[in-house]
Amino acid sequence: MAIVISDLRKEYKDTVAVNGLSLEIRDNEIFALLGVNGAGKTTTVKMLSCLAKPTSGDAEVMGYSVVNFPEKVKAVIDISMQETAIARNLTVEENLRLYAAIRGLGKAEASRRIDELSRSFGFGKVMNKKGKTLSGGWQRKLSIALALLSKPAVLFLDEPTLGLDVIARRELWNVISALKGTMTVVLTTHYMEEAEKLADRIGIMKDGELIAADTAENLKACTGSATFEDAFVALVSKGGARI
Amino acid sequence: MRSVKRILALAGRNVKEILRDPLSIIFMFALPVAMELMFYALFSSAAAQFAISLLAPGMAVFGQAFITLFIGILIATDRTSSFMIRLYTTELKSYEIILSYALAAIPAALIQGVAVYAAAAVLDISAITWHVIPALFAGIIPTVMFLSFGILFGSVCGEKSVGGVSSIIVTAQSMLSGMWFPPEGLSSGFLKVMDILPFKNASLVITSVFNGETSAESTLIPCLIVLGYSAVVFIISVFVYRRKMVQ
Repeated sequence: MAIVISDLRKEYKDTVAVNGLSLEIRDNEIFALLGVNGAGKTTTVKMLSCLAKPTSGDAEVMGYSVVNFPEKVKAVIDISMQETAIARNLTVEENLRLYAAIRGLGKAEASRRIDELSRSFGFGKVMNKKGKTLSGGWQRKLSIALALLSKPAVLFLDEPTLGLDVIARRELWNVISALKGTMTVVLTTHYMEEAEKLADRIGIMKDGELIAADTAENLKACTGSATFEDAFVALVSKGGARI
Repeated sequence: MRSVKRILALAGRNVKEILRDPLSIIFMFALPVAMELMFYALFSSAAAQFAISLLAPGMAVFGQAFITLFIGILIATDRTSSFMIRLYTTELKSYEIILSYALAAIPAALIQGVAVYAAAAVLDISAITWHVIPALFAGIIPTVMFLSFGILFGSVCGEKSVGGVSSIIVTAQSMLSGMWFPPEGLSSGFLKVMDILPFKNASLVITSVFNGETSAESTLIPCLIVLGYSAVVFIISVFVYRRKMVQ
């Protein structure tokens, strides 16, 4: 298993953001965490990527506890956040070189990885453009490319296509699909179509709790729904019954 | 060794972010040089305060006060744009990130000093001696204080408010350094405040070094006062930064 989550809980003052989350995510699987706003998806990703400490419970990422060995976890993961996290006044190439240096890649290795990513993401024309001059789609692509530089065992993508137009969204879907089988990807989204198209399995969160986790086909079958959107609505409006 | 490489890589990025921002160029380089040229042209024949021997080092320190603004803006922007969050998912430690901001300010301050002293040389070459070299490097002392204020403000303020808060330091350096008017004639209470605060002392250190003065009163004591403020503000800024990042 790439990720084993055991009774994970996160409280912020009076709010329980994640409540008793237990889940296993397999090696090289694309797993989508789906839910409406405030369901606890981003908080879950923050705990798994050591950005937030769990109030209780634990999770192992590639065998390392996020509570006891966050440095070991950070060495095997990477993340692309909801908001684009790039250096705005640096060019695409400078962003990639900066992040390669931060991730400890040697010069030769960094150049090799940047060439590979430049080809697969099609950065050729924008390589010398500054981050702030890129369109939203290109900024998001760059953000994901940065996360892939160090070839992480686990990649977290938090709402990767939020706010993008349909063309940019489809292009990013192709990028994410290409990762299938090469690394474990945990993707948060509130787009049904995105989860259904990209993910091997989908976990549905509501009010901080995981109420279902299975393939899109099985979730449709067990709710007797014709579409995945209907299955999602049926599950979320059930009042938390777990599947 | 990997830690040093990470710090230098990030510091290099921070230097580029500052130097590629047109506002930095205007406020950090163009404004002090333009003010130096203007005040020299208008007032140097009327008041000794505006002779290059006093105006150039005073303007160099005044220009450095903008480092508070640009380090503050950079940190506040990185916090709000998620760039900082991305850094925290890597093996980077808080102290490495803080050092990278601090190191970025020093080359920016040195470039700024070169610009101000080069303009001074154009205006009055006779006022420029070899002491300009130690004066340039002595500028690192107030730079540490200004960048510490920048880290502090960038950690607690938002992207929009950090500019206003940082302008307090720029205004204080302008009004409380004594560079625009001779201290004679000011009330003793006001003079006492100027002596206690670091702004006049910062100007005094650089002016003394620029003019080759080496007495304890004109260099060592003000230098210690500025270093004291720098140490206190730096420690507070590191504490506040780490606390904000944990949140």
